[in-house]
Amino acid sequence: MADEYKIEAGLYYTNEHEWAKPGDGAVLVGIDDYAQSQLHEIVYVELPQVGAEVNQGEAIGAVESVKAVSDTYSPVSGKVVEVNEGLVDSPEKINSDPYGEGWIAKIEPSNLEANIAKLMDAEKYKQYLATLKH
Amino acid sequence: MELKKTHIYAYHAEHGNMVDFGGYAMPVWYEGIIPEHNAVRNSCGMFDTSHMGRVWAEGPDVAKFLDYVVTNDLSGLNEGNGVYSVMCLPTGGIVDDLILYKMGPERFFVVYNAGNREKDFAWLNKNTKGFKVKLTDVSNKVAMIAVQGPKAVEVLGKLSDINVSEVPRFNIASLKVSGIDCLAARTGYTGEDGFEVFVLDCTLEQPEKALKVWNDLVAAGAKPCGLGARDSTRLEAGLWLYGNDIDESINPVEAGLRWVVKMKKPGYFIGKRALQKIIEEGVKKTLVGVMMEERGIPRHGYEILDGENPIGLVTSGGVSPTLDVGIAMGYVPPEYKELGREVNIRIRKSLVRGKVVKHRPFYDETKYGWKRDK
Repeated sequence: MADEYKIEAGLYYTNEHEWAKPGDGAVLVGIDDYAQSQLHEIVYVELPQVGAEVNQGEAIGAVESVKAVSDTYSPVSGKVVEVNEGLVDSPEKINSDPYGEGWIAKIEPSNLEANIAKLMDAEKYKQYLATLKH
Repeated sequence: MELKKTHIYAYHAEHGNMVDFGGYAMPVWYEGIIPEHNAVRNSCGMFDTSHMGRVWAEGPDVAKFLDYVVTNDLSGLNEGNGVYSVMCLPTGGIVDDLILYKMGPERFFVVYNAGNREKDFAWLNKNTKGFKVKLTDVSNKVAMIAVQGPKAVEVLGKLSDINVSEVPRFNIASLKVSGIDCLAARTGYTGEDGFEVFVLDCTLEQPEKALKVWNDLVAAGAKPCGLGARDSTRLEAGLWLYGNDIDESINPVEAGLRWVVKMKKPGYFIGKRALQKIIEEGVKKTLVGVMMEERGIPRHGYEILDGENPIGLVTSGGVSPTLDVGIAMGYVPPEYKELGREVNIRIRKSLVRGKVVKHRPFYDETKYGWKRDK
């Protein structure tokens, strides 16, 4: 079943199905293809607060479908420097492009190396998904 | 434990996204909740509701017996008429809500909630003492399909041997659908016009008749809808969900169901004394609708607040696909019930502003639902 879901190389993944993409001084954060597929038709996104200091594993918002609510946990510690305001009017972008237009927040990391050590790379994450029941 | 299956299971397993719903393997959606919801509001959707309870009640005392166990008044019913009611405990707490159809001088057809099938059948049987009445649970021998939406008459009409548009609301008629013996009641749980079709003489082991009716309805233009759209349409219509909005700890006066409690009907009915007292003394909480004024989706169990002061809990909540806004039903003290009153709902860490609104239904009845302007 792990093959059903798109897993992007170069990203780091959490058990809760968030991804982190380290870039120039900041980390892009979102939820992955598996999470969006489980939720199906996303109708609402609660974005993190710009300027908030967050810890790895802390709830920073939520993504909701008609039926379900899923908290979003930050994959890294740091300061939220930008959020994807486009999701307010078009939350379905998370369904159509979870690793691109559906990004949720940009975080300036405070402890990136240690955080990444606790996350899974694409290969490990693929193995992890394979262990999950549908 | 293996999940129970309905007559339509073979279709669901092939096309649906399945969940465990109170022990039944049921589809939560096929294509998606939103397109299915919209089919019901704008065209014609169809639900398998065969997991619900269906009982024949028969015998010389059947009318007296049912008038004793339910709160509504059945004495004025003619053959073919149905009525929505609740049945209560002696405390006034709601055992279940249900629909009863008069099928003959000594014969009623009773339909109640899936989650209460065993409980209700036991409760009805427990109270037959002194009445000449026989109860037969036919839930596994009669399939049930709800065809709902502004085009339900047109869609069901294509397959029927009677003019279904002539069945009045809350009435039931015998007919053939696709040549198969059925009953069709002009009822539903979506707020829309439509029918609940009962496929007679169709067992779980030999479900071919029900599957034929279902597949022919699909071909006739009914969009299969899962439990997700069933919940979102009933919430927009402001209808009670047993286990969420009503249960044995809630009485019909609190639940806004005073209109199904007929205190003046002849004879005693279970719960009458307690309900008399409740009506005289007044209630401490009452069911209201809340529509969000700010972004956010209220959900079951969330707190309702006056400013920062908690006053109640959301019993049903969600997003209204039709109105594109968060809506909720919940209980608050009666002093907060007036329409337009501002309340907050605690959604995770935030207090989100909403206002008390008419909830049955939440939508504009001139635009949506069975009363809509044609």
